[in-house]
Amino acid sequence: MSGPTGDKLIRVDMSNLSVAIDDFPEEWKLLGGRALSAKILLGECDPTCDPLGPDNVLVMAPGVCSGTAAPTSGRLSIGGKSPLTGGIKEANVGGNPGQDLMKLGYRAVLLKGKPADPEKRYAIDITADGASVVEANDTKGMWNYALIDHLAKSYSDTASFISIGPAGEMQLTGASVACTDQEKARHPARHAARGGLGAVMGSKGVKYVCVDAGKARSRQPANRKEFMALGKKFTKDYLDGPQMFKTGTSSVVPVANMLSTFPYKNRTEGSSPDAETLDGARIVESFETYGGGMHNCLTGCIVQCSNVVHDKDGNYRTSALEFETLTMLGANCAISSWEDVADLDRLCDEVGLDTIEAGAAIAIYMDSGGMEFGDAEGAKRLLREIAEGTELGNAIGNGAVSTGKYAKHHRVPAVRGQAIPAWDPRPLKATGITYATSPQGADHTAGLVVNPGLGEEELARASQESQLVNAATDSSGFCQFIQPTLEDVRMFYGHLYGEEVTREQVADMGWECLTDEWEFNRRAGLSDDPDQMPDCMKQDAVGPANAVFDVKSEIVAQAYTRFETRDELFAQKAAG
Amino acid sequence: MPQVKIPPPYQGSTLGQARVEVEGTTVRECIQAVGDRYPGFFDLVIDPNGDVHRFVQLFINGDEVDRAAVDTSVAEGDEVEVLAAVAGG
Repeated sequence: MSGPTGDKLIRVDMSNLSVAIDDFPEEWKLLGGRALSAKILLGECDPTCDPLGPDNVLVMAPGVCSGTAAPTSGRLSIGGKSPLTGGIKEANVGGNPGQDLMKLGYRAVLLKGKPADPEKRYAIDITADGASVVEANDTKGMWNYALIDHLAKSYSDTASFISIGPAGEMQLTGASVACTDQEKARHPARHAARGGLGAVMGSKGVKYVCVDAGKARSRQPANRKEFMALGKKFTKDYLDGPQMFKTGTSSVVPVANMLSTFPYKNRTEGSSPDAETLDGARIVESFETYGGGMHNCLTGCIVQCSNVVHDKDGNYRTSALEFETLTMLGANCAISSWEDVADLDRLCDEVGLDTIEAGAAIAIYMDSGGMEFGDAEGAKRLLREIAEGTELGNAIGNGAVSTGKYAKHHRVPAVRGQAIPAWDPRPLKATGITYATSPQGADHTAGLVVNPGLGEEELARASQESQLVNAATDSSGFCQFIQPTLEDVRMFYGHLYGEEVTREQVADMGWECLTDEWEFNRRAGLSDDPDQMPDCMKQDAVGPANAVFDVKSEIVAQAYTRFETRDELFAQKAAG
Repeated sequence: MPQVKIPPPYQGSTLGQARVEVEGTTVRECIQAVGDRYPGFFDLVIDPNGDVHRFVQLFINGDEVDRAAVDTSVAEGDEVEVLAAVAGG
């Protein structure tokens, strides 16, 4: 047996509401997720197009191992030309739609074109029998949770959903794409958040995609016995290890604070006096009194890093309250209560917004004097204003750079139009190189290096290796938090298709993903200039070491040229 | 002498050193000895109450040390590994 065969691509043209189902090219079988999205965009999307126009292509591509029994492997990539950066974008997301698409043999969904009437809303229904475009005007303007409650009444229990909230419909460039988690209630709590891809989905008039895998089985590997044994060993090794994410990413808060990468007040400081009250330990403590707990966001995940947060009355409030959200909507806005941040997180999930971009934008607005730092109720009001379409709401919903322009405020911590995430490029200089050189812009999931002790000569290589490993991981379907190595990916691919896959092949696929994305950006007119870091990151020091981003441009630029492969690369774990 | 393995997130405090040889007969003494040489390191491992931070795990020659047993003895040539749970968004 040769592994999964007969895979398809779904092409939807929203200009004439037509659907075509094409065979998936056999030679692309080891391309999935981010790498597949990049290959499709480079071949089928005009890089100079208007990101919110008919020529942009929104790609939904599960990773290669999605839909199999491999642990924590069901991730989905959402890709397209970003209205925020003007370059290529991939946002990786959990939940169940990725696995469901792959169980049906759909390697990607491509949304092209644009409906003639921008006021109309549509949905894409996907089943084993194919795909169709249906009218969905009754869902116009719905917030994400209300939308899923509404859809649950008419769709099967086995369906999962990909949706946008009002921010996406309004084509705001901080808009996210939501995916439902594996819970029975199907919470739209998992977001492909970065880069404004929700706005691209909104520009195509698509409010949601329903994927109903029905009773479809998981994908059958060619070497079933070996594949299952590998999965079992991979699981055991993970569970026998330190399990760094067992209480969620929010547990990172205190140590990030000590490392000066828990930015405070629009990044004017690297540590916050509120680390104690924003610490994920407070969330874990709340499980005892409020309920909630840790869970897996997608079926088959053994990491279970996602927290489910309840309110004082024991009712579901949000999921998952992550480190990035606690930092950007908490510390960076000087909001000190994790419970307020939980409310802000829920609002972002409802309206359909990237919590990093929204947190950066609100902090900029506060820093400009538009609102007091620490005004949690004011921040919640701002997020509601986004859905109401006020001028200020539009500015915040369009992200950090837009808010800086609106408030006429100079201090805008963004790279290539995208807000810098919590992980700070001043103490973490290799991560800063990632922000400056990654085709994805300032995105920690593109290549996070948490090592403030690296020498200057090691920085570019560390960034590049992390970028390569993360690109390969985000193409595989594995979550970065199960921390696969290239060697792990190679082994799973080999048994999935019953053929030898070398580790060099997997490394080359990671590098090719990056070069495809850089090429798209070049054609889009984006510069390779390594000097991308804003002045505030180069001038305003943080921490006891007075760290600034002071890496020379010629060092930063080294990340664009492939370093000679060394053995350590194959054992390096993904980190994002 | 025992050797202390420094996790990447803490190598800023040890000026890039990934391993440090120290004089010490317990895990705590070894951590203290690294901290004496590199100010800032000790506080990243041990909290103000003298306990191991909950996001830190300690190992001797690959075997996890109970966080309440930070005064466990170490011998000549032992490797004390410090692991810090730092990654993810």
